[in-house]
Amino acid sequence: MKSIVLASAVAALLVLSGCGDKDPQVDANDGAVAEQAAPVKSAPSVKAPVASNSETAAEYMARIEKELKTIYFDFDKFSIKADMQANLSADASIANSKASKFLVKLEGNCDEWGSDEYNFALGLKRAETVKKALVAEGVDANRVSMVSFGESSPACTDKTKECWAQNRRVDFKLLP
Amino acid sequence: MKIIISILLIMISIFANDATIDVIKKADTLPSIALEDASVSYDSTFKVKFFKSLVADLNVLSIFNVDRVQRNVNFDASSVLVENKDMNYVLRYKLSQDDSNSLSLEMKLISKDNVVFNKNYKVNSSDIYMFVSHTIAYDINNFMGESPVEWIKRKVIFSRMISPQRSELVVTDYTLTYQHVVVKGGFNLFPKWSNKEQSAFYYTSLNETKPTLKHIDLKTGKSKVIKSSDGMMICSDVNEDGSKLLFTMAPNGQPDVFIYDVKTQNTKKLTNYGGIDVSGQFMGSDSIIFVSDRLGYPNIFSLNINSGSVAQMVYYGKSNSACSVHGKYVVYKARESSDSFSNNTFNLHLVSMESDFIRRLTAVGVNEFPKFSIDGDAIIFVKNYQSQSSVGIIRLNHNKNYLFPLQFGKIQSIDW
Repeated sequence: MKSIVLASAVAALLVLSGCGDKDPQVDANDGAVAEQAAPVKSAPSVKAPVASNSETAAEYMARIEKELKTIYFDFDKFSIKADMQANLSADASIANSKASKFLVKLEGNCDEWGSDEYNFALGLKRAETVKKALVAEGVDANRVSMVSFGESSPACTDKTKECWAQNRRVDFKLLP
Repeated sequence: MKIIISILLIMISIFANDATIDVIKKADTLPSIALEDASVSYDSTFKVKFFKSLVADLNVLSIFNVDRVQRNVNFDASSVLVENKDMNYVLRYKLSQDDSNSLSLEMKLISKDNVVFNKNYKVNSSDIYMFVSHTIAYDINNFMGESPVEWIKRKVIFSRMISPQRSELVVTDYTLTYQHVVVKGGFNLFPKWSNKEQSAFYYTSLNETKPTLKHIDLKTGKSKVIKSSDGMMICSDVNEDGSKLLFTMAPNGQPDVFIYDVKTQNTKKLTNYGGIDVSGQFMGSDSIIFVSDRLGYPNIFSLNINSGSVAQMVYYGKSNSACSVHGKYVVYKARESSDSFSNNTFNLHLVSMESDFIRRLTAVGVNEFPKFSIDGDAIIFVKNYQSQSSVGIIRLNHNKNYLFPLQFGKIQSIDW
């Protein structure tokens, strides 16, 4: 009876135990970057009444960011709905005034029906539509960046039509 | 009479190898197999775990009726247990543990009281027992003269959503029994093996200002940035030798398919349509298939890289947003309802480029991320149904589907 070492499984063990030692580096890097990239959330209800000259820049940015209205979309669509035009105009106005010194990041999102590339692209096209509308209202295109989270950043996780509608959206984030 | 028989023979020869045709095999025509456990080490919990793993692997082979009763025996007993006398095959195995915690296994396949096949296995740790089980199934499949099932031994990598904008990348076996988190923390998506050996992988990191494609070598643990792009930056496919990649990038908010040369680091744009072009997959060396909404809804198209000519590949389905290709076959995801107010169903379908047949491969739930195995023998996919994420395996030529549920979280994407 010949004795055969299970090469593939041994390789798997070596590879996986090897990477286990390295994991914390990868984990640490990614976690640190994520933490740094995450917007600083202060407590605006406490800070809001205080005069703006005592706010830090980050607090001011977070407060203005909250004033920007989310744009919602129809199922499987990336065109702006008529009832969203007012929100868009208000957003463009803020982007050109109070938020004029910040960069604007548009985050495209989708409902839960699929996590494949097409869904991410749909989220991105939603962000692109919003960007075009902002530019048409005078916002400098170079200030606006876009990203898509597909279905991976739901605002609501219930299994209802109202919930899915809340997830088909473009959120505004301000960057220094 | 001769003419009828001739026609029948021709029909059989035409359809015998067409995977789009359903093959209904009666279970009672399959040979029976029972397992006899002769292990001398390990506690009963581990022995049961190993037994169940082996039973599951033999079932997935789809060539046996597998007896599910665990019986103990002496490895050197001259005949099979009396309860197994009527079995076509008896698989007797002995697990043993040595001083260094490695796991050894002796196995023999007995038919009619004769040992017809035997082999020994050894791994450095009992933690990866499932790879031994998968390899035994692989070897028995080969011994039985079936087409090879290389995929059964391969590793799977997937992205698991933990919470909004939080995910981790996990290396596992095809049954999700072994799980090792390789990238933890942050928002990391679309992992893709970068070589046949599965020693490194690409993935999309959304932790930077722009979506960034990274490469991690599992042997060294080294991470490096490949490229970043505004909007989207995804590695959709890796060619056979790992030298060329297909990207989905959106430098100006416009998602398109690009080809990337790993050696020269040159990127070339392949699609130019103003809507959505994503999910490029290599089809031979000169062509790709991809998902585009150029007809007003997502569908599957092919593109000749040299000539730039585009052709529609799929004519069934309202919304076909993911695909995989192997030889003449394309498997794709199709939405079977178009409703924003109720549950939607997405099923996988198989089409052949040489015929008009369409075979539906799944029935309920959201079935996505279909991916052919390297040998085309099986398709792996993700099923999300009633808040449960599972990995599915479809054995095309055996007309069988197997599901392996994920304990927690939701699978965002998968590769094997």
